[in-house]
Amino acid sequence: MDFSNTFFWTFAYDFIRGPMVWIAFIVFFGGTIFQIFSLLSLTKKQTISKLTPGPGRFIPKRADGEDKKDWVMWLKLSIAGVNPFMTIVSTTFHVLLIIMPIFVLGHNILLDNSFGLSIISLPEGVSDFLTIIVILCAAIFLYRRLFVDRVRAITTWSDYLFLFLAAAPFVTGFFAYHQVFENYRLIISLHILSGELMLMAVPFTKFVHMIYLVIFRFTIVSEYSLGRGNRTW
Amino acid sequence: MFGKKSTTGVNTKEVKAILNEKKTKMELSLKACAHCTLCAESCFLFMGRNKDPKYMPSYKFLNSVGILYKKKGNVDILDLGEMRDLVWERCVLCTRCYCPVGVDIPEMIALARRVCRSQGVYPQYERE
Ligand code: HEM
Ligand code: SF4
Ligand code: SF4
Repeated sequence: MDFSNTFFWTFAYDFIRGPMVWIAFIVFFGGTIFQIFSLLSLTKKQTISKLTPGPGRFIPKRADGEDKKDWVMWLKLSIAGVNPFMTIVSTTFHVLLIIMPIFVLGHNILLDNSFGLSIISLPEGVSDFLTIIVILCAAIFLYRRLFVDRVRAITTWSDYLFLFLAAAPFVTGFFAYHQVFENYRLIISLHILSGELMLMAVPFTKFVHMIYLVIFRFTIVSEYSLGRGNRTW
Repeated sequence: MFGKKSTTGVNTKEVKAILNEKKTKMELSLKACAHCTLCAESCFLFMGRNKDPKYMPSYKFLNSVGILYKKKGNVDILDLGEMRDLVWERCVLCTRCYCPVGVDIPEMIALARRVCRSQGVYPQYERE
């Protein structure tokens, strides 16, 4: 039976390529805005008091330079220093996860056709290579989940599900590009569908760490904050 | 009937009230935790116990507040007893743990302590 001939499949195919794309983007942006407000409501502004030297409030500088930040020690103790391998894998995975969809040629041809919007794209060979890298990183995550004791100790079934969901658009995209399976339409539908599901999952599932990280690490003042936040829990 | 049987000895209403105060933060922190274990090395107890996963900051908060959340506060005294060992014996609330995502692990562990304490479950050092 030809997959595209039945009424249901034709409908599903058109739906996934059409309205569903819009729904996914609306859910993603709407959900993200909702979560940003929800997260910010957990925090409040605070004024930061600064100690200024003055009569009776003199902060001496140590002559031996002991109070200088020890950058070597700082790096050694950071996650990059303690876990360099996972830092590289994770950073690569996340950077590609976010930039790849924007700069893949196939996506940009669609954008151009629909809106006349044309932006720079990665050469096909490069995106092909980067896709393999993403899949490799996901495989390393999977290996850790399965075989590393400390990761297993806190792994739940949903971790596998979301790892799978994050990798699915890349795996199916790779298959579609290389036409590994005969039924191109099925693979490309799965590719689009998994991308949409992933987008919609960002504000409401484990992927919410993207929003959580940006809000809290940058706005809350703490020893580890990344920005010059002026808020507190 | 079931609920009653499995929560004897615990005033679940009180537990729920405490959890409710921190509901959004608890919910989002549990969700945002990527279960990546990168916080492990930042805890000196984990390092000092031969890197036993049971001492990872995330293990401690997921198995205390995580359970309170999952059971919606309907925990029994045995659950709280296990939590007691987790949040007192294996954590000193030194707040040195570091999570790249920004999960406030010490506050979560403190919340679990508060729930335990409200039900009379805490270490009694003078007797132990
Ligand atoms: C600004 C955006 C983001 C930041 C800063 C970020 C940061 C992080 C961090 C720090 C971790 C834990 C370290 C690790 O295990 O690699 C992590 C894990 C993870 N992230 Fe993200 N993330 C972001 C966006 C996303 C998005 C959009 C997705 C997917 C839709 C995603 C999927 C994952 C997955 C699946 C893991 C768990 C990996 C594992 O199984 O160990 N992340 N992220
Ligand atoms: S608490 Fe933070 S560092 Fe620890 S496992 Fe969860 S997300 Fe990773
Ligand atoms: S607060 Fe608890 S979990 Fe965090 S570093 Fe200290 S002892 Fe470890």
